[in-house]
Amino acid sequence: MTIEFNDVLPYPLEDYPHGNDSVWKNKFHLNFPKKVVLNASSGKGKTTFVNTLYGIRKDYNGAIKLDGKDISGLSLDEWIELRKNKLSVVFQDLQLFPELTVWENLILKNDLTQHQSEERIREMLHTLGIGDKEYMLCRKLSLGQQQRVAIIRALLQPFELLLMDEPFSHLDEGNAATALKLIVEETNKNNGGFILTTLGSYHGYEYEEELTL
Amino acid sequence: MLRKILFRNSTNFQFIFATLGALVGLTALCLSFHLILDVRSFHSGEEELFGPNQIVIQKKVTKFSTLGMNSTDFTEEDLNELENKEFIIDVAPFKSVDFQVAISEVKGDGLPPFYADMFFQSIPDRFMDIDVDWEWSEESEYIPIVLPRDFIMIINYGIAQSQGFNQISEELLMAARLNIHLKGEKKKDIMMGRVVGFSQKISSILVPESFLDYANATYGSGTPLPPNRVFIEIKDDSYGELEDLMEEMNLDIAKSAIDVVKVKTIIGVIIGIFGIASILITLLSLMGFVQYSQLALSKASYEIQTLLRIGYSVQKIVKTFISSLTIIFGAITAAAIIIMILVKVFIVNTWLDRNGIHLEESSILPTILLALCCFGLFVGANYLNVRKTVRNLGNSDKR
Repeated sequence: MTIEFNDVLPYPLEDYPHGNDSVWKNKFHLNFPKKVVLNASSGKGKTTFVNTLYGIRKDYNGAIKLDGKDISGLSLDEWIELRKNKLSVVFQDLQLFPELTVWENLILKNDLTQHQSEERIREMLHTLGIGDKEYMLCRKLSLGQQQRVAIIRALLQPFELLLMDEPFSHLDEGNAATALKLIVEETNKNNGGFILTTLGSYHGYEYEEELTL
Repeated sequence: MLRKILFRNSTNFQFIFATLGALVGLTALCLSFHLILDVRSFHSGEEELFGPNQIVIQKKVTKFSTLGMNSTDFTEEDLNELENKEFIIDVAPFKSVDFQVAISEVKGDGLPPFYADMFFQSIPDRFMDIDVDWEWSEESEYIPIVLPRDFIMIINYGIAQSQGFNQISEELLMAARLNIHLKGEKKKDIMMGRVVGFSQKISSILVPESFLDYANATYGSGTPLPPNRVFIEIKDDSYGELEDLMEEMNLDIAKSAIDVVKVKTIIGVIIGIFGIASILITLLSLMGFVQYSQLALSKASYEIQTLLRIGYSVQKIVKTFISSLTIIFGAITAAAIIIMILVKVFIVNTWLDRNGIHLEESSILPTILLALCCFGLFVGANYLNVRKTVRNLGNSDKR
């Protein structure tokens, strides 16, 4: 998958100065599979970057192309098809279903894609240390636990690019490293890549490319 | 699981309100529709021979008529005036034979010996809505005749007793042949006739127009008689205008002949009002359901947006929502049909029976089709609404 940015600038960031190496107001392209980190402090537009690339925000100038196609021209149905087969995401606000159990949240996604076996899903839960929370309602979990459920959900589909918006913000370094290891493993299985946004920590991983804002 | 997410926040009150409204509305709609069909099929016997709203008019016989000073004939101007009346759809003057006619029994056909002077009249075939052979040509075996029902009453309860012969049933009279004596000035003949039906509306002896034209040409004087009776067809709900016309042209109309049509119209109007009210209730309950699904969707807007963001298609979400509503609508439709049948059988029919009104049962099929149409309308309207709302939620990103 190829991503091209051409003088992209979200409306809310118009009044801020942007450096020569920033993703905003510049031209660059990324070829996946590749593991990319986007490192920036708060308020620079990390979430805006992820949401814009995921087709949730359309309030920007410039052009973004996915595999050569301008994403502003994609219909809702085309976005849904992309989100089911090529583009996965871990939202910063997680967007889980609080009234469903951990298992229901995950099965809801896997029923759609049939990407992983139930056994593998349980394995992932255990790996991330929430194997005993399977039947708990999501709203009753801590934020860190919810974050891990959201990470597993993002891995229950085929993808060429996985977008992650501060996915370890509520995890300690140990748990973050374990989660990142699982993410890398699944990304490689999919022969895909990811963009991970972070507030500064690299979680002990060597990324192939780094973007800044 | 999708269903659990989508309906989790929906309120019971609105759902119960919409369901009850739909059930009451649909039941009332089916019931009134079915009753309208029943009433339409209601006839007095006369309707078997003649179409609806058809009435015979004639001018009143007064003492001046008796003295020969006042004619009861309809002139050309009279007929034109009738034709120009807005509420009159069709006008057909009676034709009469202008020579002497008599009938007698055919020996061996079961009728007692008799010989009686007669007269024949005819009206255009389009007024004869009769399901017996009303065609006549010179090759026909017999001349079909429609008698006034009073005629056989007079024979059975008057003449038979006083003349000392047996009473005659309608069946026997219709089975027996009659000798028709045609006595013109230049030519006399006997032809075969047969009674094919009885009429309460027309106190005249009717034969096919084709026979009457032939007979007048063959035996008649050559000068056609002016009509003194006219068959008219009037529009629905125009009895007031008909009464004005009776006054104006000094007409005589058998009131009983129009009473059946009148009662039918009144019942039709009452059921029609009931029907319109039930259409309104049904439409209101449809709006209730549309609102209910709108509310349920807006309460589940976070869930729907999230589903669309994790790859669920609009179609899948709409299908899940609509399949639940379809089951509810299906249950409402089935319940409405069952309640309608129960009300019809145990309340309406019992009441009608107690009051001696016998309606011919019309088929339940059109009513079921109507209910299914309403079901389709409910599903269709909600489908369009739900699809639009889900799409709007999917497209409600920041622009």
